[in-house]
Parts: sequence; C-alpha cells; structure tokens
Amino acid sequence: MHKVIEGLFYQKTDEWLKVEDDTGIIGITDYAQDKLGDIVFLEEAKVGKIVNKGDAVISIESVKAAADIHSPVSGEIIEVNLEVVQNPQIINEDPFGKGWLFKIKIKNKDELKDLMDAKSYSEYRK
Amino acid sequence: MNQNLKKIPLFNLHEKLGAKFIEFANFLMPIYYTSIKDEHLAVRERVGIFDVSHMGEIRVSGKNAKKFANYILTNNIEKTDYGDVKYTVMLNENGGIVDDLFSYTISDNEILLVVNASNIEKDYNHIKKYLWDNLNLTNESDKIVEFAVQGPKAQELLQNFTNFDLNKIKYFKFDYIDIFDENILISRTGYTGEDGFEIYMNKEIGVKVFNEILNKGKDYDIRVCGLGARDTLRFEVCYWLYGNDIDETINPIESGQKFLVDMNKEDFLGKNSLIKIINEGVKRKFVGIEVVGGIGRHGYKIFDKNKNEVGFISSGNYSFILNKSFSLGYVNLPHGEIGEEVIISDGKREFSGKIIKKPFLKPRVKKED
Repeated sequence: MHKVIEGLFYQKTDEWLKVEDDTGIIGITDYAQDKLGDIVFLEEAKVGKIVNKGDAVISIESVKAAADIHSPVSGEIIEVNLEVVQNPQIINEDPFGKGWLFKIKIKNKDELKDLMDAKSYSEYRK
Repeated sequence: MNQNLKKIPLFNLHEKLGAKFIEFANFLMPIYYTSIKDEHLAVRERVGIFDVSHMGEIRVSGKNAKKFANYILTNNIEKTDYGDVKYTVMLNENGGIVDDLFSYTISDNEILLVVNASNIEKDYNHIKKYLWDNLNLTNESDKIVEFAVQGPKAQELLQNFTNFDLNKIKYFKFDYIDIFDENILISRTGYTGEDGFEIYMNKEIGVKVFNEILNKGKDYDIRVCGLGARDTLRFEVCYWLYGNDIDETINPIESGQKFLVDMNKEDFLGKNSLIKIINEGVKRKFVGIEVVGGIGRHGYKIFDKNKNEVGFISSGNYSFILNKSFSLGYVNLPHGEIGEEVIISDGKREFSGKIIKKPFLKPRVKKED
C-alpha cells in the first residue's frame, strides 16, 4: 500500500503540491518513487524560471527509467532542494518530506481546483 | 499482457518472496525484490542468488560432438576436456553474432551450450542447420533450472552443502558434485564480475535447492536478486548483453570480442567473413563512456563536440559502486580515443560524456595465474 498524505494536492502524473500561503512545495508521491525504483539523478530546476501548469520542469531518473516532473500550478520557481539534487535517493526514502523537489510562487490559486485531494488520488492509484 | 508468456518453474516462490515482475524474452521474470541497489550491493559485498532458469540449455551429443562445437563456435573447444567451460560467440556466415554463450565440455562426444533466453529457438535452429549427420541436438531448456550464487561469500555459503572441496573448481571450470543430496553440475562462472558459481539441475528439485540456499544464506545476509541487479552488475564490469551490446549486425572484432575468436583454427563458421573484415579493417569501435547529468540509455545517439552524429549507445546505467553514470556504445572510427569528449542525446535532452577505458569496475573473479 502506498502512502498518501492528507492536506496535499495531487495530479495524475504523480506529483504532490503543498500550499503554504502563496508558496507551493512540489514533490513526487510514494507511488511514483516506488514505480521508479532507485532514483539516481534529479535535474536542478532553475530559480527564477516561469512555468505554466503542466509544464515538464525537470527530469528525474532511476536505474529503470527517466521521467519528467510536471508543475501542478503556474508560477515562478523560487527555491530548489539542492540536498536532493546531490543525493536523489532521499526521494526514495522520504518522498513527502525531505524529498521535496522545488518551491514555486503560485500565480493563480484557481488552478488548485483542477487537482485531486488525498482521497481522490488514493482512489486513482488504487 | 502477452498471453504467450511462460512462467519460470519457480514463479510461485518468487511471488511469495515479493518479486516485482517484468516481461523478458517471453518469460515473466523477477526484476527486483527489495531494490536493485540493495541487491547489487549485496552481491558486491556479500552474496546474492539469482534464478536464471530462463537461460537456455542445448545439448550436442554423439561422436565428435566436441569437434562440431569447435566448428560452430569461435573459441577453441577442440583443446578443452571434461570440466572446461568456454565463453564464446557463435557467428552466422557473414560474421554477425548469433549469440554469446558458455560451452561446457562434458566429453569428446557431449557438449552442453548455455545460451541467452531470447535466443533459444534461434540458436537451436541455427545449430540444427549445420548439424553433422551422426549428432543429436536437444533443447533441454524447459527441464533445467539454473541458479547463480554470486559474491565474495558465495563459496563459503555453498560449501555448507557439500563435502566436496569447492576450491577444486577453478574459474571457468565445472564438475558434477554431490551437493544438496543430489549430483549436480556446478561451475565457477557468472555474469556479475564477482566470484561465484552457477548450478544446473532438473527443475523438480529447484524449489528445494533454492530454499536451502536462501535459508542458510541468511547467515551471510544474502539477497535474492532479480534481472535489474543482474544488469547493473554485468554493466559495471562491461560484460556484453546480447540484444543490447551485440547482435547479428555486429561482428566480434568491432564488439571487442576478438579474444573469443581463435583465428588459428582450421575452420569455423564465419571464419571467411571475419578474415575479410579484419583485412578491410572495422569501421566502428565498442567504447565505454562516462556520462554527466543523466543516464545515456540503449538507442540514444552519440555526437562529437561539433554535433556530428558518430554512433549510438548500446547500454547505459548507473554504477552503485562508483556512483557515476556510464554508457557502452559504438562510435565510428577514427572517433573513440580515450579522453575524447562526446555528447549523448535522446533527441530531447543532452548529456556530456567522455570516452574512458573499460571496464568501469575491474571484475574480482578468481582467475588462475
């Protein structure tokens, strides 16, 4: 059974979004890290970059596969988790905590209504 | 899911052990149990067991079976005796690699070939086509299970099950020994770059033997390993993977497998083509590449620093021991010098790479001096 955390937003490509005021913290779900297996590379997102909802922002690679990380919302990237860029296996160990990927200044909170809550996401990945 | 998928004999056991499965060569095969990294490190540091029953076993028997094997294979089988294993390739008439395989010499009149799962039928038909009249060819792949016990503790673990001194089985040698209360073929061979053994037996006793090794293996913190770790382990020491690094469009001179070809043999299948290839000179070269920023995978293209396409990647992976990413691939000559900088691309992303010496990690097998 994969872990899903209450209070976060989710999208179909298996990213989670935590909203704190205007800031969104983005990571991948437990399901995604388990599917990928041992993660060995994480591309460093560019601070200051403007992204649109759904954009492939960075790539992530495990031994098995390469995948894109899609931003769940539009906005500006304001911080990158460099510790995870250095040690990507942290994502496997703690995908909802220390394994967060980057922070974004959310442009339009209306976009949140397109995302799933924990219950819908659990259902989707059941 | 493909309806023609074959279940390996120990499928139910693997499922119980928590295996994740993938489709491979028409089999549903365990890819990993805990994680590829965990299993990889277990083999480098301690011991791991792989169920490699998907591998094919083809037996050639009858008068002068050994002479025939010497003709159909590139390595010198003629000079081998009971107990010898030879790593070799088998060529088509154009010098392309039909398969890479192990040849076990049981006697002058009996040879056991252990071939890649994806090539079992192809190899059988290929050999059949050239088979001498008095010889028998049997495909025993469905009857035999094979386990690989690999790692620095492999010998110590297996020694628990037999009075036979395993030191007597040297690197690339085999014997039939009394072990697990059975008489079983065991060779000091493998596909990991570690010391270890491969054991072959009738499938009826497979579950019993596998469980015995696994239970005793707990004393050595053993891991059951899947195809994932099998691939990352062989990759680190640059062992070729058929279908990725070699195939029928590639000859053993360009693949760096000339050491498997005895050009002094009077004749062997593909020899005339190889003579021509050697005289004309090969056009490409099999190289190792250190890659920065991602994994350069099978099928990615290689460019020189002026962005001219110069080759392709045949295998790529991450080394859990060196903590770097590497690729194997072919580059057109005169490219391919050690130190040359290249660019690797899947059409979307670009990684920088540098051609380096192979193997990435030196095998720690117990070669005789």
